[in-house]
Amino acid sequence: MRFKKRSRSRETLLRLAAYGTILVALILTLFPVYWIAANSFKFDIDIFAVPPEWVPRNPTLKHYEQAFIERPFLRYALNSFLVAVGTTAIAVIFGTMAGYALARFTYPWQWRKHVSFWILSTRMMPPIVSIIPLYLFFNYFDMLNTKAALIIAYTAFNLPFATWMMKSYFQDLPVELEEAAIVDGDTRWGAFLHVALPLARPGLAATAIFCLIISWNEFLLALVITLTEQSQTLPIGIAGRVTQYTTYWGEISAAGFMACVPIVIFAFIVQKHLVRGLSLGAVKG
Amino acid sequence: MKGTSAAPLEIGGWFEQWAERRLRYLMLAPAVLILLALTIFPSLYMFYAAVHRISPNPDLPWQFVGAANFTRLLSDGQFQVALRNTAIFTVVAVSVEFLFGLGLALLLDKYIRRLTFLKTVLMVPMMLPPIAVAITWKLIYEPQFGVLNEIMFRLGLPTQAWAGDVDLAMFSIIVADVWQWTPFIFLLMLAGLASLPIEPYEAAELDGASSWRQFWDLTIPFLKPVIAIALLLRVMDALRLFDLVFILTGGGPADRTKVLSLYIYQVAYRFADPGYAAAISLFVLLVTIVLSTWFMKRMRLVE
Amino acid sequence: MLRKMSLALAVATAVLAVNASAWADITILVPSGSEGDGLRAAAADYAKLKGTKVEIVQAPYANVFEQGANAGATRSGVFDIILMDDPWIPFFAENGHLEDLTTYFKNAGVEGPDDDFLSKSRAICRNPYNEGPYVCLPYVGNAQMFFYDAAKFKEVGVESPDNWDNVLKAAKALTEQGGGRYFGYVFRGGQGNPVVADFMPIFWSYGADMFDQGRTKVTIDTPEGAEAMKMFMALRDVSPKGVESYNANEVGTAMAAGTAASSINWPNWVATFEDPSQSRMVGKISYSPIPDGTKPGSSEIGHWTMGIMSAAKNKQEAFDFMMWATSPEQIKISAERGNPPVRRSVFTDPELAKQEKFRHYPVLMEAIEASTPRPRHPKWPEIENAFGIELSKAVAGTITPEEALKNSQAAVEQITGLK
Repeated sequence: MRFKKRSRSRETLLRLAAYGTILVALILTLFPVYWIAANSFKFDIDIFAVPPEWVPRNPTLKHYEQAFIERPFLRYALNSFLVAVGTTAIAVIFGTMAGYALARFTYPWQWRKHVSFWILSTRMMPPIVSIIPLYLFFNYFDMLNTKAALIIAYTAFNLPFATWMMKSYFQDLPVELEEAAIVDGDTRWGAFLHVALPLARPGLAATAIFCLIISWNEFLLALVITLTEQSQTLPIGIAGRVTQYTTYWGEISAAGFMACVPIVIFAFIVQKHLVRGLSLGAVKG
Repeated sequence: MKGTSAAPLEIGGWFEQWAERRLRYLMLAPAVLILLALTIFPSLYMFYAAVHRISPNPDLPWQFVGAANFTRLLSDGQFQVALRNTAIFTVVAVSVEFLFGLGLALLLDKYIRRLTFLKTVLMVPMMLPPIAVAITWKLIYEPQFGVLNEIMFRLGLPTQAWAGDVDLAMFSIIVADVWQWTPFIFLLMLAGLASLPIEPYEAAELDGASSWRQFWDLTIPFLKPVIAIALLLRVMDALRLFDLVFILTGGGPADRTKVLSLYIYQVAYRFADPGYAAAISLFVLLVTIVLSTWFMKRMRLVE
Repeated sequence: MLRKMSLALAVATAVLAVNASAWADITILVPSGSEGDGLRAAAADYAKLKGTKVEIVQAPYANVFEQGANAGATRSGVFDIILMDDPWIPFFAENGHLEDLTTYFKNAGVEGPDDDFLSKSRAICRNPYNEGPYVCLPYVGNAQMFFYDAAKFKEVGVESPDNWDNVLKAAKALTEQGGGRYFGYVFRGGQGNPVVADFMPIFWSYGADMFDQGRTKVTIDTPEGAEAMKMFMALRDVSPKGVESYNANEVGTAMAAGTAASSINWPNWVATFEDPSQSRMVGKISYSPIPDGTKPGSSEIGHWTMGIMSAAKNKQEAFDFMMWATSPEQIKISAERGNPPVRRSVFTDPELAKQEKFRHYPVLMEAIEASTPRPRHPKWPEIENAFGIELSKAVAGTITPEEALKNSQAAVEQITGLK
């Protein structure tokens, strides 16, 4: 279907249909995001205007002031950042090594298969299950309400993900280049470091951004493990504005909108690698 | 950082040589050890808790009850409702996301390939915190003030209660989830399409195969690994859906959106019955593992 | 790449290392929201005054109970005081999570909280209700009130919402006039806590209750219960579409936006209704106690109370703080910060009484004095969930009101083991 010769007019029609679809998809995708942003600039009374105010008529920065100056949302953002970067770094470094090992080396007793599967299965554990034991665990080590506890807890699901992603990625890189490096006198480790790793950059970018997104947005574990301003993350701060009596829509919108900004910026920085890395190496490239 | 030209055996002292020989284990060890440390305690706890009756009173000892927590699953109406809802959500949401994602990718592949910027923009929904997504959709669905009903009203369609309607509540949750995760599938499919080899298509073209045949005989088999990974990741996440339901409906109305994660959360923390919660969790874990093993075998993801 | 990543890791670890857990004399768990903010401000004053370091830790409202239960069940001493919603008291007290305060009062030379606390506010802090030892002290004096647009009610010929028949009459007329954009009544129909909270006052005002005296029998499926249910369903029929997912916030918003004429809600909404940046109904909403049914109306009490965890590290300091924070002066300051008081002297304080924003105080005091606690049972969260499911089904119309009563009766009997 990719090389059929078609009449010019049919081609134009298809092109128009495609651009039309892209436009609709863009609108559907971005409208809710726009709506968060628009609401964050409205007074509470205007958020509930009938008919809705499509564009804030009477814009205000009140909610930003409330969230980021009066309430510690900046602090929450910092916590989220440290936790996300910490766990992503651990997951990507060790996951890349393990993924490489599982992709390239042979082990006795079918270890490769069993270990690969076991690693993947750890990610299937519903987080809800591990909350009580994790709570007991961190309580025992006096680590409740620390960012370190969150980093450790998140690593439990980021590490298997990173390992699995990088394993598939390395499996699809041609092994010949590394062999050539070893013939040229590099060590096995050196071949990994100097040859395989640079080639795997798109995979690394995609893995890192997924780990970042998941940890930046994680809710359930942070809800149970953290109680203090020094450890709570953005999603918990946002949930905290749904109080018994009132929901602070404006502040939630302001915080929610700002929460996606760093990730979006990061995504744009690495976008060159990202979309390619997204194939998860599952495709022979 | 530059590769040295020294011969393998000349590098470093005995430690480096030992490390080089044991590299296959050394590279795997940190990840395995970390994961063991992080999962062994929760797993043991879960197995142990599942056969006990645990009182919220710390002065009372754990009481061994054998398989009682598991037999309770059979007669627990709320569990069965949650199981059914989770199944509906997973099947419908993942199928719709997949069909939309694949369809859009096929349609737009040619036209969007160079528009990296656009592709990144389309990723924005999945970067938002699910909790903010849930709260935003709550505002959109609001029956009196929400945008959705305003649009329905303008179009002359009957307004709905959406998340507050028995028959539409699950649909509303699915729509929000589809909105957030279709881009993920779409981008994966695009990446898959981008790496399709050209030669087989040229050959098929010469044989006069129709576009439809090419799609079924070439595109789908080539995409199979990407499709498999995408479905696997989405199903695993759909089975643990929590934030959206927690905020949008709390499991209501009339229990129509109560999913397993929410039920486990309630049993474990609201009703303070961690033993029974562990039993349900084990069941969920078992189902997940069996399903994905079967799926991976079928899709030949593991050798 | 790897070098950059290691650098990031090193930086992250270094920052984390600095983040040792803070040391404090007393740690208090509060819900995020106005109750928690009030106690946070008080704690800051206390720290300044006494040189004691008080740390406030917080959780979203929906998670405070879980945090308390987790800490109680694992004896983790991560906080000393918990600011809790009153229906949780039996769970915490009867599972050994809370300290009995009797000896602390004795050591302080008093028998218990003084008479200036409203009697219902004191009763709620004893377990069993009104009879057992004190396990906490009241801090925020919430009880439901009935909110209504008096002018609209008058328009359709109803002078005062003193009983549910009148409310229904007015609501019905207003909803019919409203043409689908304005409604006479609105309530919290969301499954679980919301729908139960808005059904209980109607349930009580028809003489029904969940248990008989002494908690020996479940009494949901009774003629009184059926009558209450009938009224509840009639009110549902005149409420907006979508109440099936409403919580306090949606109900308050409907009132503030002027799309509904009456509802039950918490007094915290008074401030919102009177704030022009949040309300189109400034000065137009009246307050009254819960309307009567066949019996006098009764509001659901929803106090926030402070208790000491059994695993607390600094119990005496915690008790001293609680006594200080609930003193008349401090309760008055707390009222000025926006949380309803629990003391008669503050409710009737002339300085507050003359301020517009406290004009609901006489009604609120009356509501508290005529309040009923949610059924006191250590398994209340589970009971509330089961009852909430059946009520939600009745509101959504998937089962009949009769079935809802019957199923609730059976479910609560099973949970409590009462037959």
